[in-house]
Amino acid sequence: MLSNLTLWFGAALAVMLTFLAPEARAATPTVTDLLDKIDANMTYDTRESYITMRVTKSDRVKEYKMHSYGRGQDEAAIEYLAPSRDEGTKMLKKKDELWMWLPSVEKTQKISGHMLRQGLMGSDMSYEDMLDAARWRSMYSGTVTGEETIDGRKCWKVELTATSTAVSYPKRTIWVDAVAYIPVKQQLFALSGTLLKTWTMGDIRAVGTRQFPYKMTVIDEVQTGSKTELIFDKVTFAIALEEEVFSTRWLER
Amino acid sequence: MRLLFSLALRNALRNTRRSFLTGLTIMLGVALLTCGISWTRGAFGGILEKGANVMGPVRLVTPEFAKKEQMMPLAENIVELEPILAAARATPGVTGAWPRLQMAATLTVGDDMGEHFALVQGAPPEWFSRALDLEHHIPNGRMFATDDAAAQQCAGGRRSRPPIDAVIGAMAATEVGAKVGDDLILGGQTQDGSLSAIKVKVVGISDLGSGPQNRFVYVSLATLQCMADIPTGATEVLVYGATLDDAIPIEAALAANPALSKLAVSRWDQRPPFSSISGIIGALQSIAAGVIVFITALGVLNTMLMSVLERTAEIGVMRAMGLRRGATVFLFVIEAIGIAAIGGAVGAIVGSLISYFILELHGINLGNAVNKLPPGLAVDSVIHGDWEPIMLAQAFGLGLVMAIVGGALPAIRASRIEPVEAMRARR
Repeated sequence: MLSNLTLWFGAALAVMLTFLAPEARAATPTVTDLLDKIDANMTYDTRESYITMRVTKSDRVKEYKMHSYGRGQDEAAIEYLAPSRDEGTKMLKKKDELWMWLPSVEKTQKISGHMLRQGLMGSDMSYEDMLDAARWRSMYSGTVTGEETIDGRKCWKVELTATSTAVSYPKRTIWVDAVAYIPVKQQLFALSGTLLKTWTMGDIRAVGTRQFPYKMTVIDEVQTGSKTELIFDKVTFAIALEEEVFSTRWLER
Repeated sequence: MRLLFSLALRNALRNTRRSFLTGLTIMLGVALLTCGISWTRGAFGGILEKGANVMGPVRLVTPEFAKKEQMMPLAENIVELEPILAAARATPGVTGAWPRLQMAATLTVGDDMGEHFALVQGAPPEWFSRALDLEHHIPNGRMFATDDAAAQQCAGGRRSRPPIDAVIGAMAATEVGAKVGDDLILGGQTQDGSLSAIKVKVVGISDLGSGPQNRFVYVSLATLQCMADIPTGATEVLVYGATLDDAIPIEAALAANPALSKLAVSRWDQRPPFSSISGIIGALQSIAAGVIVFITALGVLNTMLMSVLERTAEIGVMRAMGLRRGATVFLFVIEAIGIAAIGGAVGAIVGSLISYFILELHGINLGNAVNKLPPGLAVDSVIHGDWEPIMLAQAFGLGLVMAIVGGALPAIRASRIEPVEAMRARR
């Protein structure tokens, strides 16, 4: 009787483990799963947005209003609406090239090389940070190192290493919201391991089928007392954009 | 004493060729020294005076700007200028105080932006007049006007913008290919670090004679305030007295003024590059003078030593007749001084003539070598000497020093000659 009971208990346990084991494995997602889900939220075919950028340096705060367009991973454009001294300034990115239209002198300045990694309008975000829409899945590999709670949200902590030398940040540590799949916190490192920036994302809202952070904050860890907040006043995805927006003709229009 | 003088004179005339060579050595040394002092005074004095004027004899900046000065941190500016200027101008001994902004910028004439770099200085026209006498160094064109065109450019947007005047240094103009009447685009950054560009019209091409100064672009303060997005401020307030020597009491008075307590006050010679080079200049002048004195003294020593050796027996006799050691030293030193007095006087006159007529009036052209100096060193390409009548006496005095230094050792040697041994040597 006892041996039968033991046999039945053992069989039941084996069946439970058989069913539970895949569940248990799925509880910790793979890095590729996480990167795919982040890319699904953060990248787009087309996007139009109105953004407020607030740059704080010590006790000085400067606010910019921008109208931004994006198409795929390679094309992006920004027009400055405010303040008045920057009104009409435009930027156009096509693949690795960036042009800036300066209305005060009616000239187009090409920005290339190391300048792409300098602060956009003196902010803590580089031109690349602002205009880059590349898929992380194609740029990074890494490991999920644990689970942490950030602002009450369960997050997966992931250590990422760039798979090519062409990226701005060779190493990233990211905390990915386990529900929304948004990297709510990122630490961006140089190849030497020096922490360059801390980037947080919040005010996550559903936009169509995706989740999107309406507020981002970038803190320059090298230059103390400097912070940049990016507030998306309006975001629209999958919108038909004029072809001219992504041409140099648009810059001078 | 009279005997000693007559003996010294007899000795000097006994071998006229040797005495002539000794005198010639001293003459050349003194002449060289006069020219050297005159030229280095002219060269370094010019650098210091011109540099101090450009940098401001006394300067007020924020402490943060002083710490990061090499990086030209526009964000570390004096936001409210008027109370600072008022306090500086009310300081005893101050004849003028002006704000200044300075930044690096790309220069563009035509389509390709960012090909050439220059430093741009923005200040009130009175400062350009006081520090550079700019309005009298514009051989081509005119000084920029004080208009409000800059403020209109800063208004932004796509509205039409009136041209802003600028004066460009001759060398920068040549490099960028700018002519009077051309539009020139200055590309720099605002105090927040964002790209900023303004279009100016070249109204004058300046030639300040100095390589570094001819690489600058000069605009009104409002123009650079617009470009740097510093609406009412400037990074520096430069304070002037009647002379450069007034910098010391003015600095002390400004540092003690409670209204300026939040600013860093410094004299021109406390700031780079002069904080390091003023000491080096003094040391170099001393070393050069020392080398000339040493070489000349060596010549005198050689001649006098030969004189002592030739007259060993005679010295022995005089010592046996009661000439004391001190009198023996005096005899030879007075001979050396006598020769040096004639050589030194001729040398001082010849050196002064060369210094005045060749170095001071004509100058020495250093050519393009000065163009590679840092901007703070406003060095003219033609360096003029600076001769003063007092230098005649100084050079003559140094000639006597050469004679005493060169004649002392042989004289001491002569005084130590024992009479018996000297007479036995029969020389």
